[in-house]
Amino acid sequence: MGLIKAVADAVMEKAKHEVKDYLIKFMEEEKEKEKKTEEIKKEEIPAAVLKESVKAEELKEEDDEDEDEDEDEEILPLIESEFTKFTYKVKPKDFTIPGELADIIKMLPVEEFACFVKLMIFVFEQKKNFGYIGNTLRRKIGLESFENEKFDKTVENLEKYGVLKVEQVSDNQKTFILYVPFDEETMVKAEYQKPEKTQQKKVEKKPVKKGDEEEKPVEKQNDQQDDIPGKAVFGMENDDLYKSYRTFVSLEIDKAKMRVGRSNFDKIYMEAVKYIDKKYGFKVLSDSEKFKEYLTNYYISAFDIPTFETWKKTKV
Amino acid sequence: MLDSRILLKSLNDLEVRIMLCKSAFEWELLAKKYVDVESNIKDFFKKKKIPENFATALDTLRASLVQKKGELPPVDLSDFFK
Repeated sequence: MGLIKAVADAVMEKAKHEVKDYLIKFMEEEKEKEKKTEEIKKEEIPAAVLKESVKAEELKEEDDEDEDEDEDEEILPLIESEFTKFTYKVKPKDFTIPGELADIIKMLPVEEFACFVKLMIFVFEQKKNFGYIGNTLRRKIGLESFENEKFDKTVENLEKYGVLKVEQVSDNQKTFILYVPFDEETMVKAEYQKPEKTQQKKVEKKPVKKGDEEEKPVEKQNDQQDDIPGKAVFGMENDDLYKSYRTFVSLEIDKAKMRVGRSNFDKIYMEAVKYIDKKYGFKVLSDSEKFKEYLTNYYISAFDIPTFETWKKTKV
Repeated sequence: MLDSRILLKSLNDLEVRIMLCKSAFEWELLAKKYVDVESNIKDFFKKKKIPENFATALDTLRASLVQKKGELPPVDLSDFFK
């Protein structure tokens, strides 16, 4: 019995050692496995990071390319607009942007959007959706911070977007028409037929001489007395045609101003003042509204602007 | 006699102010003053003939007012056509 017990104890002891060895081996193998997996992970992470950074760089490059493409890309018009020159019948109380227009201009880039809204406010102030493009306009709409080139580019872009039309009227002069949906209730079309070319040439060729200017208005004064734009003409106050004529005269005076140059225009103005004082007296000169009436009349004569009757015939 | 001197002085003052005038608004004020002074002078002398020195001063003043208006920047007509 004692022998059997001793044999059994020996077997048990050996089994214990074997189990212990097996467990130790198993533990070591497990540790090695863990180490290996960690190493593999460590190796994999930098690769992934690298891959991601490469991807990011690629994406960045793609973005840059896209931006370059965008810059070079042609701007597509937002609308196929019909440009109508108009004047407001009466200056509206509030400045409003029609919903239809708001939907269009909200798509514009920031600078173009700002420029458009500023132009629209300007149009609203001056009660007409057209005028000359230049430094004066840039200043008037409060875009002094824009350099000339930038302003020109913005205007050009607005034209590409189809919300503004630029017309080159001469080598140095450009005019614009701003797109604003036409509303028959508040606006009047200001389209007019341009005076015949021969007539325009005649004006251009005429040298500005003091003598001529002083004499001419005297001859034409009586004929044009009723054609002073702005002067209340019975039954014509609400006449659309007469309003168009006033716009026409205003534009013609602006054109003449550009044509003769600042210094010559100042001289003409000086002559006009002297003439009005001599002919109508000092009271007219010191009454600003009357003075404007007679000054307009003087300009009509001096710059050979067609009278209302003549202009009406060309219109019809 | 004293009053006529005051009137003459106001004409002289106006002449100086016209020389210094730089804006259309200022010019209009001076033109109004000129009209007032002119009527004051006419009232003062009533039916009598206005003395030559006054008449000359008034003419000179009017001429310088006209000259000054011509020298100032041309009146902006854009409002007129609205």
